Amino acid sequence: MRYRFGVRLGRFIALAALVAAGLFPAGAQAGTGQPLILTVGTDQDLETLNPWQSITVADYEIFQIQYELLMGYDINLETAPGFAESFEASTDKMTYTFHIRPDMKWSDGEPATCDDALYTYQFALDALANEDYGYVGSGYLEPSLTNAGLESVECTDPLTFVAKTSHPTTILPQAYVPILPKHIWEKYDLEEISNAEADGFFKNEPPVVGSGPYVVTAWSPGDSITFSRNDNYWGTPGVPDQIVFQKFEGADTMVQALRNGELDYARGTGADQFDALSTEPNIRVSEGFSNGFTYLSFNTRATQKGYGGSTSALEDQKFRDALGYALDRQTLVDRVLNGHGVPGTTHIPPYQVKWHVEPKTPRTFSIDEANSRLDAAGYTRGADGIRVDKEGKPIELRLTWPDSEDHATDAQFIQGWFEDIGVGVDAFVTEEGKLLEDLLGPETDGGPADWDFYMWGWVGDPDPTSLLSIFQTSQIESGTNDCFYSDPRYDELFTTQLEATDEAARKAAIDEMQQLFYDAACYHVLYYDSVLDAQRTDKFTNWTNQPPDTGTPIFGYGYVGYMQLQDASAVPTAGPTTAATTAPGTSAAPGGSAVPVSPGNTRSDSTPLLIGAVLVILALAAGFYFMRRRGPKVEEE
Amino acid sequence: MGIRFLTRRLGGAVLTIVMIVLLNFVLFRMMPGSPERILLGRVPGVPPAVVEATKIRWGLDKPLFPDQFVAYLAATAKGDLGFSYGERGRPVADVLLQKLGPTLLLFGLGELIAIVIGLALGAYSGWRRGGIVDHVGNAVSLVLYATPYFLLGMGLLLLFATGLGWFPTFGMTELGVTHASFIDLLIDIGRHLFLPLATVSLGLVGQYAILMRSSVIETMTEDYITTANAKGLTDGRILRAHALPNALLPTVSLVAINLGYVVAGAITVEVVFNWPGLGTLTVEALEARDYPVLQGVFLLLSITIVVANLIADLVYGMLDPRVRT
Repeated sequence: MRYRFGVRLGRFIALAALVAAGLFPAGAQAGTGQPLILTVGTDQDLETLNPWQSITVADYEIFQIQYELLMGYDINLETAPGFAESFEASTDKMTYTFHIRPDMKWSDGEPATCDDALYTYQFALDALANEDYGYVGSGYLEPSLTNAGLESVECTDPLTFVAKTSHPTTILPQAYVPILPKHIWEKYDLEEISNAEADGFFKNEPPVVGSGPYVVTAWSPGDSITFSRNDNYWGTPGVPDQIVFQKFEGADTMVQALRNGELDYARGTGADQFDALSTEPNIRVSEGFSNGFTYLSFNTRATQKGYGGSTSALEDQKFRDALGYALDRQTLVDRVLNGHGVPGTTHIPPYQVKWHVEPKTPRTFSIDEANSRLDAAGYTRGADGIRVDKEGKPIELRLTWPDSEDHATDAQFIQGWFEDIGVGVDAFVTEEGKLLEDLLGPETDGGPADWDFYMWGWVGDPDPTSLLSIFQTSQIESGTNDCFYSDPRYDELFTTQLEATDEAARKAAIDEMQQLFYDAACYHVLYYDSVLDAQRTDKFTNWTNQPPDTGTPIFGYGYVGYMQLQDASAVPTAGPTTAATTAPGTSAAPGGSAVPVSPGNTRSDSTPLLIGAVLVILALAAGFYFMRRRGPKVEEE
Repeated sequence: MGIRFLTRRLGGAVLTIVMIVLLNFVLFRMMPGSPERILLGRVPGVPPAVVEATKIRWGLDKPLFPDQFVAYLAATAKGDLGFSYGERGRPVADVLLQKLGPTLLLFGLGELIAIVIGLALGAYSGWRRGGIVDHVGNAVSLVLYATPYFLLGMGLLLLFATGLGWFPTFGMTELGVTHASFIDLLIDIGRHLFLPLATVSLGLVGQYAILMRSSVIETMTEDYITTANAKGLTDGRILRAHALPNALLPTVSLVAINLGYVVAGAITVEVVFNWPGLGTLTVEALEARDYPVLQGVFLLLSITIVVANLIADLVYGMLDPRVRT
């Protein structure tokens, strides 16, 4: 009985092999008859189904597929029909009349009418007027209503929604507030919708009742979300039967999944991966400008009472202006972003084609220029080459950034350039919560603004108002205006552009605001980074960027990108549809079948048998080996 | 096993858990930045009144000690770990429970396979020292032991998922597929489980084999083995009745310590295969600075490891009378 050990091991391996072999054939699920699923990988967490709680791009994407805005966005980011078919403004631009689409239904069959729009907007107005809250949920949606000066809303008949504002405005139709079904949401009060920790918090769990082309039917929090087609959607139905979002913790795995045909869309690939994908077959890449920017912000009240900056030089526009010449933004784009971005200038990014303007006299990189400007401003170099401020103190600036972002490389470059102009830099990362706290000045109860300059980013809406609003004097108190910029002319122009009734006048005001803020050198915008996405083209075709020149197909504004998609197998093309089963880099096998194939579900039938056979043979060989070895060894001992 | 031994071990474990609970409170209160600012995030234009209202709603206006501390103890005792900042409106306990299953499945099974194969391979290698199995096995074990999980995982993924296309790349089930039957679901999970499971098992098998091998070799030099040989016992009987039970002792500790990590998982394996378990949750919570979830994960992991060590102590006591004091 001495050899039982070996036999057992052999049996175990054989059993394992058989089990493994049994698993494989299941991989070859038939592609036909299965729903056509659009699978989307995202680097952002799928956190909430309650639109009022939305913060991230992924949160926004989740609600904008399901709910119509009052007016939507088309592929060029122009206003398009949404919950309302059309609207008109009074001549004073203070009364807007929206015409709700007749015979529209929610996904549960209830009629969708003006009452729903009224409920949603009134809910936001009530929340804003509530002293304990002042906003609802995460506070990101309703500013589009406050910026427009919305004062009151009413339904004059079931299909006519009238909104009145306190000042003239052109931005009310762009309000980014999803219209929610009153019959579902009215059961919950502000506390239950707004406070995620309240008893009875409304998570809006599936099946979600919406009016958009797809609604959420399954949700695994933090992992994946499944949208199914809304049969009551008013427009032409989308081609995908379902859309699934999958969160990825590692971009490498996401990109491999795209390569292997298990994903149709990867959002947020790394620069290296993006470059590699751009040459691969059946993959389309889209480099979209992000609607935001990365900046350096200065503590412009450094040594004033209650502020904790290290030198009075930070308060001097001439000093900050000179530093702007010592920033080689192109090098940052090339070396930090691998070329995927644009050097920055003003605080309205080029993504907003209509509103971005280049400054009249941009600060172009020149160490000599920076040096001569610092000399002229009276900052002389000390014995060690470090310049001294007006109080005779060496200028050693602290540079920091939040740990949620990776700016170590930027900081190294900046440190080097500033060293060349005699400005010392001590660079370090700060925990985001602490940084948020550190930035606040004495006007906010935080204080005491214990910092010199730091790096972070802002992201805007389709309309420039939100980005422009940050630098109003009134925003110092709220802690948003983190460089303590204050210019009465800027504040005046903010109101002017907000209330402008024609686009040219508004544009003139916004141009001047960008120029003013650029000249003040409170911020140095470093770059506008790109959003790097990739799509498979062998399952869905007609990926269309929104907007065409600077955007990405999805994760934009509204849901228009999804509605452009076509079924690749329905379009007879020369391209093979079975490419997913071949390794990347090798050319796809010619003559793919015309049967609709969903790459993720399709595997060749012979390989599972093959590996099963190999494993069985290995197991048998191992068992044989153990049994054979046993004999002679025993004799020896 | 004496009562004194039992009470001492149990008492030690309970004391450790109490310390962990205390540490958990202190550690997360020492995090920089005030919680109400983190809660509010970077909302443009929050009026100070709103910040104040948030503080009151969360009880942050009360002193840290005793009010907040007592509230924390009471809640923790009831299993209330608070709410996730990220997954808004979800209690931390729910979040942890949702991710516990997949991790237990992956690492529980992985441990089991690694223990069976590793111990068998190690015992055989030690028993037949110098044989082919020993040479090959030991070399492979060393290589596997030295390879980081993520490297092994990425290698398997590139070879079997991207290259050969035999296995899916990520997740636990096929995206968006509704399974006709429970069997279909099991098969789907099995396909997705194969590569991460192989990674975990291969990663663990090396250390078990190496430890078991040296342990067996050491035991073989003991006098009682010589005695057993002299008595004319068969090889198999010597191995099973004399060598193995003694050689198993050191491996028990290793297995127990590793069992503690069944819950902790090897975070990197889960991330590589995007396995929806506690490992990916931890990384996610770290990135999002979801402190309540991190606090929950920390508590859960510490308790598992303490319990695993307790079990190791008890099993050790059963196996070796000398430690029962």
